[in-house]
Amino acid sequence: MIYLEVKLPDIPGSLIELIKPISQNGGNIHGVLHHHDKKLNNMIPVDIWFELSEEVIEMSLENIKKKLTENNIQLTKISVDSKNKILTFILTGHVFDTDITETIKRLDSKSIKVLELHAKFTEVDEISSVMMKVEFPEVITKFELTTEIEKICKEKNLFLIRS
Amino acid sequence: MEMKLCLIGMGNVGSCFLQLLKEKRDNIRVNFNFACRLIAIFEHDGALIDNDGIDLDYILEDPTNLRKNQNWKSNVKAQDLISTLGIDICIETTPTNPNSGEPALAHILEALNNGIDVISSNKAPFYLQYEKIKNLAVKMNCSVKYEATVASCVPALSIKKSLVGNTISRIRAILNGTNNYILSRMSAEGVSFSVALKEAQELGYAETDPSLDINGYDAAGKLVILSNELLGWSKSIEDVRIKGITKITQHALELAKLDGYVIKHLAIAKDDNLIVEPRLVKRNSPLNIQGTLNIIELQTKYAGSIILMGRGAGGSEAASAILNDLINITNIRRENNRN
Repeated sequence: MIYLEVKLPDIPGSLIELIKPISQNGGNIHGVLHHHDKKLNNMIPVDIWFELSEEVIEMSLENIKKKLTENNIQLTKISVDSKNKILTFILTGHVFDTDITETIKRLDSKSIKVLELHAKFTEVDEISSVMMKVEFPEVITKFELTTEIEKICKEKNLFLIRS
Repeated sequence: MEMKLCLIGMGNVGSCFLQLLKEKRDNIRVNFNFACRLIAIFEHDGALIDNDGIDLDYILEDPTNLRKNQNWKSNVKAQDLISTLGIDICIETTPTNPNSGEPALAHILEALNNGIDVISSNKAPFYLQYEKIKNLAVKMNCSVKYEATVASCVPALSIKKSLVGNTISRIRAILNGTNNYILSRMSAEGVSFSVALKEAQELGYAETDPSLDINGYDAAGKLVILSNELLGWSKSIEDVRIKGITKITQHALELAKLDGYVIKHLAIAKDDNLIVEPRLVKRNSPLNIQGTLNIIELQTKYAGSIILMGRGAGGSEAASAILNDLINITNIRRENNRN
């Protein structure tokens, strides 16, 4: 899966300028997300994710990037997934008091890598919420991953909200 | 053709059904070719029984007329009299204990045991004793319909007939309008759980004791009925893994937004598992509905995702589901030459 983050001018027809080169270069679009709430200087951040076949991925990506630049679409981030899978989840409770580093290390020991972590709290020893985006190998099923996280949650009395 | 009915429970749903029956009686006669004669209305403290048919206009004009009528009998129980009335269909809308299913369960079983078709708006008998009720209905060659129990007038159960050629592999749904209202308000306005709950109570969306809603039990019951009906399972509410929404914090909602998610209280039936819990849902997902709406997403093998959405609660909504059931049962009886 390829994830692009771009900034599109908020004018009619700009989305088609984004989609067309992806589609013309063999991209199978899985999703588009507009962040209207983050509009700045008439530019809207847009996430788009799509698949390209392994054989043509490099060439197609180059073509897509070139075409987007020609179309005045600002490319802010590009990431290409390996065969690994991604899961986002939120933990609520005493996430810090129950040793968040140990939580991350335990996931890591099962080949579950924390890619992103965002936290919200008032006091470190108060109830907090942490969002993690983790990457896990294809051999681990989503069910197995969730079971592992739930095990930690049960031990540490954390509340899990997952995607 | 004439259908002889009894109504057990004349609360909000029962009253709305009588009102709808009154409004649509001519339409029913013309378009569906049958008439309804209401033989009995049971309440907790007695019953109005009239073999010639209860005058709907008179009852609906003033609900106190029910007990003023000369045919009113105090302190009689539906369970003792159902078999004696000579009715075709028993409509059950009593307030019912969510843990025991009573008194609705006893009414339903008594009616079926006496060869009387049943329509119910009560969930509990079906999420507690689904197999028992269905088996008895088959044994007695009776129909039992309960469309109003899940998402009210949204045809969540009757869609089964329209998908007989397909295979449903997964259900994801929002089945509790109260919880969806609370989460929507918390997410949109940044208010705390307790403030959103209080607001829901003031608007009449939440009960004074909201525990069945916010702890997920109500949605779990509906999920059991939905999955048993649409997926052919034989589950009860004890099979559902339930988490409520009381632990959802403003911080959690804000974090979800950072990655393009919202938090929704989902009811999920998949791979022989039943789950009711808060989940992260992409902001652009069809499941991101607002307010008190209900939504049901059926993942099908041959047609992808099919979505039903609408108002999942309310007296007139439930009444219309009951009337649908009544018309459907009458059609079944006609096909089977039971009248």
